[in-house]
Amino acid sequence: MSRNHYTIALAGNANVGKSVIFNQLTGLHQHIGNWPGKTVEKAEGTLHVKDYTIDIIDLPGIYSLSTYSIEELVSREYIATEKPDLVINVADASLLERNLFFTLQLLELETPLLVALNQVDLAEKKGISIDYEKAEKILGVPVVPTVAISGKGVYQMLETAIDVIEKKRKMKPLKPRYGKEIEERIDDLTLLLSKTELKYPARWVAIKLLDEDTEVEKEVHKVNPDIVAVAERLRAELEELHGHSCPTVVTSERYQVASRIAKEIQEITAPLKTPMRDKLHAVTTHKIYGYPIMLATVITVFVAIFSFGDFTSGVLGDVFFGLKPAFDSVLGTGIVGELVWGGVMEGIIGGVTIALPYILPFYFILYLFEDSGYLSRIAFLMDNLMHKMGLHGKAFIPVMLSFGCNVPGCLGCRIMETTRERLLTAFVVTLVPCAATSVIILGLVGKFVGIEWALALYIINLIIIFVLGRIAFKALPGEPTELIMEMSDYRVPHLKTVAKQTWFRLREFIVMAFPLIIVGSVVIKIAEVANLLEPIANISSPITVAWLGLPVITGISLIFGAIRKELTLIMLGTLFGTTNFAAVMTSAQMIVFTLVVMLYIPCIATIGALVKEFGWKKALTITIIEIAFALLVGGITYRLLMI
Amino acid sequence: MELPLTSLNNGESGVISSTDPSLERIPMCKHKTRRHHWGKRSMTACFIKRLSDLGLTPGTKITVVKSAPFNGPLEVNVRGSRLAIGRGMASRILVDVER
Repeated sequence: MSRNHYTIALAGNANVGKSVIFNQLTGLHQHIGNWPGKTVEKAEGTLHVKDYTIDIIDLPGIYSLSTYSIEELVSREYIATEKPDLVINVADASLLERNLFFTLQLLELETPLLVALNQVDLAEKKGISIDYEKAEKILGVPVVPTVAISGKGVYQMLETAIDVIEKKRKMKPLKPRYGKEIEERIDDLTLLLSKTELKYPARWVAIKLLDEDTEVEKEVHKVNPDIVAVAERLRAELEELHGHSCPTVVTSERYQVASRIAKEIQEITAPLKTPMRDKLHAVTTHKIYGYPIMLATVITVFVAIFSFGDFTSGVLGDVFFGLKPAFDSVLGTGIVGELVWGGVMEGIIGGVTIALPYILPFYFILYLFEDSGYLSRIAFLMDNLMHKMGLHGKAFIPVMLSFGCNVPGCLGCRIMETTRERLLTAFVVTLVPCAATSVIILGLVGKFVGIEWALALYIINLIIIFVLGRIAFKALPGEPTELIMEMSDYRVPHLKTVAKQTWFRLREFIVMAFPLIIVGSVVIKIAEVANLLEPIANISSPITVAWLGLPVITGISLIFGAIRKELTLIMLGTLFGTTNFAAVMTSAQMIVFTLVVMLYIPCIATIGALVKEFGWKKALTITIIEIAFALLVGGITYRLLMI
Repeated sequence: MELPLTSLNNGESGVISSTDPSLERIPMCKHKTRRHHWGKRSMTACFIKRLSDLGLTPGTKITVVKSAPFNGPLEVNVRGSRLAIGRGMASRILVDVER
């Protein structure tokens, strides 16, 4: 049996249900990775239907094919250079105008196209009725209505897609026309460009030159700098004519086309009463009710996750450590046994007891919130506060994640648009006390010094985050950006999609963090077996004892903390031979110790995440700054407490 | 009359007259390699680009729904979609309002 192998790319705005369609099509045959050299997610899947094998690529959700974000760049490069057999434009039927704006750009790229008008049920509820045949006639490509969540229309979409690929349907894709002045200049440029070799269609390049697209300009400059000069002159002429910058004129006219088409194919009869989702939106972003609702939601989530995590973590720990006797009987209690158990196994246990009880529910709830639309409302409400630390509303999400674990927090920085914002957010994120740090704050200071001191430490930590965030914001070159974000309609989240996203994120965490934790544990175990820990503790005593006023052996536990922060407390117990810390440390020592642990180093897994996202240099810089800062603050606090 | 978007009352609509009130550096860009520097001009261009890609082009009707408290972002309706725009950015969008 011969199998026909095709590639289909899904493209469209964010929040149109694109990933739901992707999941409906590919089921479990998915692979999520990164685009080569970019921190942009690449989701691929394979679909077997009849005697076809179809690779599906889920392009990132974007609003345009310009160069505003890396996602936009990645998408258009993929379409232009990889030339998929078909691009399915997933568009929101309830927001035709803006979605068609994107469709027009895909048409300009001259790629084989099919438009899936998704969420037609929502459109109907909004009183929008669409003439699909007319849409098909105007756009010149097949238009298929779908409801991704229920899977309605997805199969028809696929059949149509195959027909288009196999050229069983005659198509005459629309060539979006601009105003006369622009068209003349596009023609001029297209003529010049037709003599050059470029990976993009000539007309598209011409439009993009008028659009002042720097990437395209660079490409054209390489082959023929004269054309760039001509484009510059033409742009100046258009600016003279229209009184606005040329890209604005081009975009504006493209929107006019989209608007005209939208008007022709849809009829809107607004529903009489305000629908539930709009009421929900109004109340969750309300200037008075919005905040208590958000606070209650976030606190509920945290309490739920932490109590679930605490319980599950305990059970898992017991189960694992119950295996120790069996382990010892196989490997013996000699050096090998100790290395394997104390290094490898305890590393794995440490990883598992964090990943499953805390990270898994964290991610799940996060994606539930994201998919439902609540996350963007939180960003809306928190924008001002985040501005105080030099970030904007969207950064609240990675920061919130970090209270669970810094690693997903760092990885979550990808939602920020610019590299600068990402780095700033990551810096702030690594200062947030994670679940493990909270264990120490509560278990040491909270238990032995007093809960008010634990609370004070949290407040000090928050102040430090604001101050350091502010300083980093000033120190980092580049300009700040502001929030600009869509708040799409509330909807019932698609559980399968949420579950899948959770699983992929969890897997990413495991793949990244586990090896680091295990290797780190083994290295420290070796140092322990080789009796190196005490000399190291002695070497570091000028810092720990003289500067921070701590007992000598805390040096050892601080080293362990670099692997996993909760180890500092466990090690402290082991080294002192007691968990009644009040007997061996003064209150001041406990406070200083906890403060240092809170700030001193992102743990090894977090450093790994930083390296992955930003490279070695920046990861090391952040680490060193934080160690130095923690020691500074610790020393000062010690002296203050001694007064 | 022409006003910055931030001066509109909740529920008030206007028509965007300009998203380019000055050529001061309004940043929306982004992941540029170190080799490639954005000039003043393209910095602004990039900010306007983002707004116009989302449908905020001159001549478009825009409605301010509300603004988040403590000088937070504005919620606006443009071309049927609901957007949140930071206050600083919103103050650079000029709209014609009938009052």
